[in-house]
Amino acid sequence: MDTNFPPPPLPDRFEPFPPGIEPAVPIEGYPNTWTHTPAQPLIRRPVTRTEATGPLELWRKLPCDESNLAVLGPGRIAQGQLMHMSGRILDEDGRPVRGAVVELWQANAAGRYYHPIDQRDAPLDPDFVGNGRVRTDEEGRYAFFTIKPGAYPVPVKDTWWRPPHVHFSILGPSSLSRLVTQMYFPGDPMNEWDRILNSIPDPAARRRLIARQTHPAEVGDGWLGFTHDIVLRGRRATPEA
Amino acid sequence: MSHLAPTSQHTIGPFFPRTFFTEGDNDLTRLHAGAQPTARGETVLLRGRVTKEGGFPCLNMILEAWQADASGRFNHPADPAQPLADPAFLGWGRAWTDAEGGYEFRTLLPGGYDDPAGRRAPHINLTVMGAGLMRRALTTVFFPDFAGENAADPVLNLVPEPRRGKIVAVPEGEAEGLRVFRFDIHLRGNAEEETPFFED
Repeated sequence: MDTNFPPPPLPDRFEPFPPGIEPAVPIEGYPNTWTHTPAQPLIRRPVTRTEATGPLELWRKLPCDESNLAVLGPGRIAQGQLMHMSGRILDEDGRPVRGAVVELWQANAAGRYYHPIDQRDAPLDPDFVGNGRVRTDEEGRYAFFTIKPGAYPVPVKDTWWRPPHVHFSILGPSSLSRLVTQMYFPGDPMNEWDRILNSIPDPAARRRLIARQTHPAEVGDGWLGFTHDIVLRGRRATPEA
Repeated sequence: MSHLAPTSQHTIGPFFPRTFFTEGDNDLTRLHAGAQPTARGETVLLRGRVTKEGGFPCLNMILEAWQADASGRFNHPADPAQPLADPAFLGWGRAWTDAEGGYEFRTLLPGGYDDPAGRRAPHINLTVMGAGLMRRALTTVFFPDFAGENAADPVLNLVPEPRRGKIVAVPEGEAEGLRVFRFDIHLRGNAEEETPFFED
């Protein structure tokens, strides 16, 4: 692993989230949000050094070498629609966040996770674990080879369905740019019904969670292509000339 | 310069992969699993339980910790004292809670530092993520060793006075020859019960 990566362009100004971007909670029909979400008002704290900083060499702790989820080993190809998932991690000034740790996890093509908590009666794929971790390059790019995940029902009293989605966890250059989010697929009618996606009040913010499908020729034979850019919090106090 | 709106947060959900965790992820004193722990400072254990409304344990919650080194410095360019930061200390760790809601971090007793907002008492920032938490829950651990510094901390002072004690860790004897501090996190309850949480 290259340890001589140039330092990322560091944001030094952090503004509160604009209205409509953060999920409105608790969520009707999602019982855990009613028992886990803090009920007392959150206390806005100043950005001191602990909040502005974060671990810059995390790839030494978290190996960032797992980008191919679709091929577990020779002859072991995951079931489902093969998919190439790529994009850029940017800050609010549109600058690439290089060296960010990007973690991705998802259900298999039948909508089941390889996780002991997921005991749903849907098939596991012996050739699909469904998680990967990479580090963004100098242009802030990440890329994974995987499969398109399936939809699945949420096991609550009044069952609702999660549309196909991919989970992202991004560890950027400061604690304030830490982001956990999910990505959806364009054109899926289930997106309109998803309680989690629709907890984001601003329609434009919801649209920004939906990936763009690229022409197959851009990816190559055999893979569907999707691109999805993700914007982390943080700006530069003094814009670069 | 263009301005892009930040991407919305979502819950980490119940299925954050166990396979993402490796030995020593909850150990802030080592840069990576194969590294020696830092020789500076006092190593301590931070333990606690995460509970939800009604006091029931939250299993499978993901916690991340971030803190300064034993001298109150960060190995980060935003710290003017970065060249003096402990090069063998990572300051970051991740843990998940067991069936009883329990977690543990091995770390250093952090140092305090001077900040434009005021002198920060030694503290550890904790992030809690999990099913049902659409936004990360952010809290801060203070230590009973530093009552005077705690009383002047610009963040602790934002917490209503009766609730401040909830984010000061409690000494709980020793284990493995290290001092143990307990820090329980109650995600949702009335003002007497709930852990104070912050937004940045």
